[in-house]
Amino acid sequence: MVSLEERLEKWRRLEEEAREIRRREADWKFIEGLPPKLRAALKYYVEVGDMYVASRIAGLTVEEFNELRKRAGIPNVS
Amino acid sequence: MSLSDFAIADTCFLIDWSYWSHRNVLFKLFRAVFVPEVVLREVKSERAVEWIAAMLASGQLALYTETSDVVGLATRIVERSRLVPGLRGVDLPEAICLAVGKLRGYVVLTENRGAIMAVDFLEELSGVVIWRALEVVKEAIRRGSITGDPRQVFKLYEEETKHRFSRAELEAVINELEGKAGEVEEAGGGGEGD
Repeated sequence: MVSLEERLEKWRRLEEEAREIRRREADWKFIEGLPPKLRAALKYYVEVGDMYVASRIAGLTVEEFNELRKRAGIPNVS
Repeated sequence: MSLSDFAIADTCFLIDWSYWSHRNVLFKLFRAVFVPEVVLREVKSERAVEWIAAMLASGQLALYTETSDVVGLATRIVERSRLVPGLRGVDLPEAICLAVGKLRGYVVLTENRGAIMAVDFLEELSGVVIWRALEVVKEAIRRGSITGDPRQVFKLYEEETKHRFSRAELEAVINELEGKAGEVEEAGGGGEGD
């Protein structure tokens, strides 16, 4: 039986791996050149990976934000 | 892996999926895939909207209008996900899909890690089945709905959708499809290979 702490640790590890991939592959020059809301939303997405909340920060629909994510070179890791 | 006749798709799954050239294989796995109104509102591009409209017209996709019991449970899921330390919060659109998965037994199609974690941790979501694109593609290959080298099939999905599967999980799935299940674990696991 896997303990709650062990399961949380597994998820923490997966989250960190995904975050590292997003940080590494993001086009930071592109991101830094964007208007504040879009820049903040992409940085949030790199750190958290939550597209819905990121899209709300950006003031875009999820699909519009997804297109912005692709242009910024950030992979959607699952 | 149990399979319902019905699935319900959240935004992050549906948007990626709509960009894949084998997207209609979804309807070989499910009689109908429901799309909540809250999800439909998030779709904008011509490619995605046209595909969704055509599939709604054919009855393979179906609109899901949220009922009060679904919204009630979804709201509780949103709250509960924020009470467990270390658990990523779930937002209402994904929570609605999870609630339908619980109340109606539909397979929940999502890529949202908060939703996946919630099913792992919240007792009120016990029994909910979540499939990501990884599981959907795997099942389509396993049933022969998609033929060809599994590695190439997954690669095409990643290229066309700009989605990235975990290397360790992808290797495990490919090994399973190639009848080599267990070899990865015996070799000491995988680890992210990106």
